[in-house]
Amino acid sequence: MNSNMNGMNTMNEKSRILRRIDGVDFAIDEMTLYLDTHPTDSRALKTLEQYRKRRAELIGEYESRFGPYVLTSNDASGSRWNWIDNPWPWDIQAN
Amino acid sequence: MWQYEKKLQYPIKIKNPNPKYAKIIISQYGGPDGELGASMRYLSQRYAMPYPELKGLLTDIGTEELAHFEMIAAMVHQLTREMSYEEIVKSGFDTYFVDHTAGVWPMAASAEPWSSNYIGVKGDLLADLHEDMSAEQKARVTYDNLLRLIDDPDIRDPLKFLREREIVHYQRFGEGLDLATSKLNSKNYYAFNPSFDKQR
Repeated sequence: MNSNMNGMNTMNEKSRILRRIDGVDFAIDEMTLYLDTHPTDSRALKTLEQYRKRRAELIGEYESRFGPYVLTSNDASGSRWNWIDNPWPWDIQAN
Repeated sequence: MWQYEKKLQYPIKIKNPNPKYAKIIISQYGGPDGELGASMRYLSQRYAMPYPELKGLLTDIGTEELAHFEMIAAMVHQLTREMSYEEIVKSGFDTYFVDHTAGVWPMAASAEPWSSNYIGVKGDLLADLHEDMSAEQKARVTYDNLLRLIDDPDIRDPLKFLREREIVHYQRFGEGLDLATSKLNSKNYYAFNPSFDKQR
C-alpha cells in the first residue's frame, strides 16, 4: 500500500511540474505574439525574460527528479535515441 | 525553418471514443475555416508583407496554427480508437472508414478535401490583413458551432481553448492593421500597394 502511494505521489508530482512548464510555455507563446505588434514594450520584454527564467527553473526541477525533459530532438540523450519513445503527443497517455 | 516540440500546446485526453463527433471535428482539420487553412494562409502571406512586425506576426501565428492542426488531429485520433464495426456503421463513420480507416485525412465535415481555394493570399497589405481578421472570426464561429453540438467535457475543454486563441489572433491582426494604416497616408490608404510597389 505504501509503495503504491509513493508511486502515485511521484506521478502526481511529475504531472504537476509538467503542467507548470506547459503553463509558462503558453505565457511565452502569448507574450511572443504581443511583442510582434508591440516590439518596443519594455515591460513586456522584461516579463518575457522572467517567464524564460521560470521555465528554466521548472525544467531544472523536473530533470533533477525525473531525468531528461525531451522536448525537441536536440534534447535527446542517453545510450539510446529516446526521441522516438512513446508516448507521442497525440496519444492519450501523453496528456 | 521549423523545429518540432514533442507535446501538444494544450492537453487532449478524451476518455470516450466517439466517431460521430470525429466526423464534425475534422472540419477544423481540413475544412474551409480550419487550422490547416489558417497555417497555410498566414505562412504564405508573410513573404509579401512589407513590415517586420507583420512578418513576425504571420510567422508566429502561422506556426501556432500548425500546433492547433495537430491538436485537432489528436482529437480525431482519440475519438476513433477501438471502434467496433457496429459503431462505425451506426455513427455514419463508415463512409470515411472505407477510404481512410482510422487515419486522419484533411477534409471538411462535408468530405470536401482541403484546398488552397480555402485561403486568400492577395499580395496586398490591406486585403491580406482583412482576410486574416475574417478568417479568425469564421474559425471562432466554427468552434461555436462545434460547442453547440458536443457535450463531452473532455472535448469541450480543448475546443474552448482553441476558440479563445482565435479571438486573441483576431485582436493581434487588428493591431497589425492599425500598425499598417499608421504607416500609410491617411488621406489615401490605397495610393499604392505596400506589399508590391516601391513607396512613392
